[in-house]
Amino acid sequence: MTHTLHRRGDRENLSGDYIVFTMSAKGFNEEGSAEKMKKFLKILLKYHPVNFGDMITGNCYVKSAEEIWHNINTTSIIHAVFTDEVTVSKILRELRARDLGLSVVVTGIHETTEECCQEAGLQKHTVEHSMGIFGDLNRLPEEAVLQLSTMCGHAMVPANLVLRMVKEIKKEKKSFQDAALELTKPCHCGIYNPARAEKLLRRLVPLMTYDS
Amino acid sequence: MKIDAEKCVGCGKCASYCTMRGSIMSFGRNPKNPAKIYAVIDEKECVECCVCLRSGVCQQEALYQPELSWPRIVRKNFSDPLKIHPETRIPGRGTEEMKTNEVTGRFKRGFYGAALEMGRPGVGAWFRDVEKAAMALASLGVAFEENNPVTKLMTDRKTGQINPEVLEEKVLSAIIEFLIPQEKLPTLLEALKKIAEKIDTVFSGDIISRVEKDGSISYLKVFQEGSRFLSITGKSNVGLGRPKYRED
Ligand code: SF4
Ligand code: SF4
Repeated sequence: MTHTLHRRGDRENLSGDYIVFTMSAKGFNEEGSAEKMKKFLKILLKYHPVNFGDMITGNCYVKSAEEIWHNINTTSIIHAVFTDEVTVSKILRELRARDLGLSVVVTGIHETTEECCQEAGLQKHTVEHSMGIFGDLNRLPEEAVLQLSTMCGHAMVPANLVLRMVKEIKKEKKSFQDAALELTKPCHCGIYNPARAEKLLRRLVPLMTYDS
Repeated sequence: MKIDAEKCVGCGKCASYCTMRGSIMSFGRNPKNPAKIYAVIDEKECVECCVCLRSGVCQQEALYQPELSWPRIVRKNFSDPLKIHPETRIPGRGTEEMKTNEVTGRFKRGFYGAALEMGRPGVGAWFRDVEKAAMALASLGVAFEENNPVTKLMTDRKTGQINPEVLEEKVLSAIIEFLIPQEKLPTLLEALKKIAEKIDTVFSGDIISRVEKDGSISYLKVFQEGSRFLSITGKSNVGLGRPKYRED
């Protein structure tokens, strides 16, 4: 389960992309974890994420916050997406103080999340990096398309849909913001970053042509 | 996934929501009414991820998920993250891996966790390619993760052989997870190049480490010295889970 791991891009556009999430450790702290995850979500919502969701129910652009909250159970995985490191530091500080007893993972530029941890008085316990993509790379779409599709780690945001959104923006059928939201919806867990997607589309659309 | 030829009007809108790049759809013509066309999904290429159906894009309600039996059900188990895997009891195709490591102690100092996510990003993988990678890794003596859906499909964990019944099944991705002693990392990195040449798809590679007592991450040096790619982003478990795994 490496769904937030392989996000691609340059330092500048990745610097607005952070995910904070939690899950229970099956057989260790599963009991009572649903209530703790509800508390976790409430804390995260105070900091105005650009997306959130639970793998059990869906993301906040498809399901209501109430439904997501009510459906939380011990096998849930609760995620929220943020666009700046100051907010991430504040969240980590609050999570440390509340001491819910559930594991918390933060995804983002490692150097920055390290600073966030230090500011919150936390030390990273275990880390994970992407070693990149191997194999028949000719099968991949263009890098700019990949940066948009890989924000859903389960590959629920198809490259085909990215290309359709480019076309619809060019035809003025959709705004950049609406196209970014359309890409956000299929990512069930709620880890897709619509704010970053909009920025990436603004960069990508002028570079693409389409055959009408 | 299937399309009801009677309901489908051949608009092609669902193709944008297909996770398989390009098109795995063709068009058929209704023999009774040749003016009517309908879309057909190439069942061999479809990974049963359900993204097309869930998108709600088909206004004719022509898309439908037929009941899947063994071995085709494997496609859905690995491709649709909404399906809770019977083995891991979590939705999705992976495991808790490092996310709960301060509690489970799965990754200890002296070892690295690694994973090859076959078919990621968005290409898909046949189990025959998953087996090629698993066998190459097995020959290095890696320890496959017990609680992982790919490991459960292995008929021999020493050789990495996978149940022959599923080899012709295609999935959106399948994660091979394993542990290696730290000193074997350079050997693994060389093996990845060879696996890449043998397969008919792509894979994304992950590496996991317990942070050292002085706060350092020991594998960074190996990647720097070999001038190998390592992402600037990644996941960090910040150690808030309880009860804490007791380390020696
Ligand atoms: S299945 Fe539905 S969306 Fe797809 S081509 Fe047919 S009518 Fe159009
Ligand atoms: S189930 Fe997935 S792979 Fe099959 S047609 Fe639908 S989107 Fe494409």
